[in-house]
Amino acid sequence: MIEFRDVHKWFGELHVLKGINLKVDPAEVLVVCGPSGSGKSTLIRCINRLEPIQKGALIVDTMKVHESKTNMTRLRAEIGFVFQQFNLYPHMTALQNVTLAPMKVRKTAKKEAEDQGRYVLEKVGLGDKLHQYPAQLSGGQQQRVAIARGLCMRPKIMLFDEPTSALDPEMINEVLEVMRNLAREGMTMIVVTHEMGFAREVAHRVAFMDFGELMEIAPPREFFAHPKSERTKLFLSKILTH
Amino acid sequence: MGRLNGRPIVYMSSAMLETFNFRVIFEYLPLFWSCFLATLWLSAAGLLGSLLVGTLACGLRISRFKLLAWIAGVYIESIRSTPLLVQLFFFYFGLPSLGFRMSESATGILALTLNSGAYMAEIVRAGIQSISHGQVEAAVSSGLNYLQRMRHIILPQAIGVTLPPLLGQAIVLVKDSALLSLISLSELTRAGQIMTSERFMPAEGFLTSALFYLIIYYILKGLTHWSQKRLIYMQT
Ligand SMILES: Nc1ncnc2c1ncn2[C@@H]1O[C@H](COP(=O)(O)OP(=O)(O)OP(=O)(O)O)[C@@H](O)[C@H]1O
Ligand SMILES: [Mg+2]
Repeated sequence: MIEFRDVHKWFGELHVLKGINLKVDPAEVLVVCGPSGSGKSTLIRCINRLEPIQKGALIVDTMKVHESKTNMTRLRAEIGFVFQQFNLYPHMTALQNVTLAPMKVRKTAKKEAEDQGRYVLEKVGLGDKLHQYPAQLSGGQQQRVAIARGLCMRPKIMLFDEPTSALDPEMINEVLEVMRNLAREGMTMIVVTHEMGFAREVAHRVAFMDFGELMEIAPPREFFAHPKSERTKLFLSKILTH
Repeated sequence: MGRLNGRPIVYMSSAMLETFNFRVIFEYLPLFWSCFLATLWLSAAGLLGSLLVGTLACGLRISRFKLLAWIAGVYIESIRSTPLLVQLFFFYFGLPSLGFRMSESATGILALTLNSGAYMAEIVRAGIQSISHGQVEAAVSSGLNYLQRMRHIILPQAIGVTLPPLLGQAIVLVKDSALLSLISLSELTRAGQIMTSERFMPAEGFLTSALFYLIIYYILKGLTHWSQKRLIYMQT
């Protein structure tokens, strides 16, 4: 579904992704963790070309992301992206937030888009918040709207960049619950997170990233019980004692 | 105390009312009305012009083209750092001496447009920059193209944020248009001057001018309140 082949990325002089090789299968849930600045966000932002890559091949569902002639609109329509800061449109209600892209990009009729929007917002537990503006919602609710916004495009892939890091602790679970359900329904997901409980329970594989490289990638049981590299061990000991 | 002070005040104001000549004001109302309309249309033209110039200058200022950005910067800075009166006199006396001739009203509108445009440019820029980059990335991620992002995400918010300061600038512009009386345009302030010089009634003349300005002010202020109410969703 997603394939990185020796992908390199530079910001000016800064070498941020140093030869990434990675294959994510359909319906797989991959959790990526690693220290700040290691390149996790950049890794998933390359997948819908929020960041262009400079070297290597990146293929998403037969589309070649590294080629400039690839139709970006089509690619991005297939990929939902959830940001740490939610990034909802503040001048639109929850329902308007989730129906904009289906109507404008997928050209879905308004009525149909709204029916679907209502259905998806209900699914993430916000059936009573359809007409609220983001500023009237809690952080957890905003993030669930953001997830619903991605889902309304009926994407094949959902990418999450630290979706719970900006949330108060008591709101983290409501967002993780929505993501658990998504995983259960067979969505292909890459989740950058430090919620190791979520990784253990939901992920098919967990990857550790450091200095722009994927140091280690393994099923969660193995990843947590027998981390191979010293850096992974050190990192896990730091975040698991929190 | 109140009684002691109360009496002279009542006395004074009734004395004022006796000397204040309402009849002459009524006599001059047609003049004030036509001058009021002149102020309205000069200001409206200046406002429209300054919106166009301001948006253009802002667009150039934040563009990638270094030279254009620099030109826009020089324009904005030099307008903001010099008095409107000097700018007006430059257009009125200076340009003809260099061979550019225009009617008085064209000169007045040009001065208001270029002056206010520099302030508008900064207001528009603040409006555009108030939109978080994250939203734009979210819109890009869901496949919205540049025009769709402008139309549905950036402009509605930029206009919303910009409207109150923009109306504030409109109020300033209307008041600034009083300076156009100095290049003998028949607008509200000029009407006060005419009445003063013909009937020696400066109090009546300029107070009437002021009242008409007040009408415009309250209309614009009402619009500002209305636009601010529509922005409530922005407040967290
Ligand atoms: N737009 C950019 N321009 C220049 N450098 C950037 C840019 N975005 C990221 N970087 C740099 O690239 C490196 C990797 O950043 P990235 O955001 O991918 O890290 P991260 O693993 O997501 O970190 P965090 O856990 O803090 O989110 C960092 O050194 C960062 O400073
Ligand atoms: Mg990050």
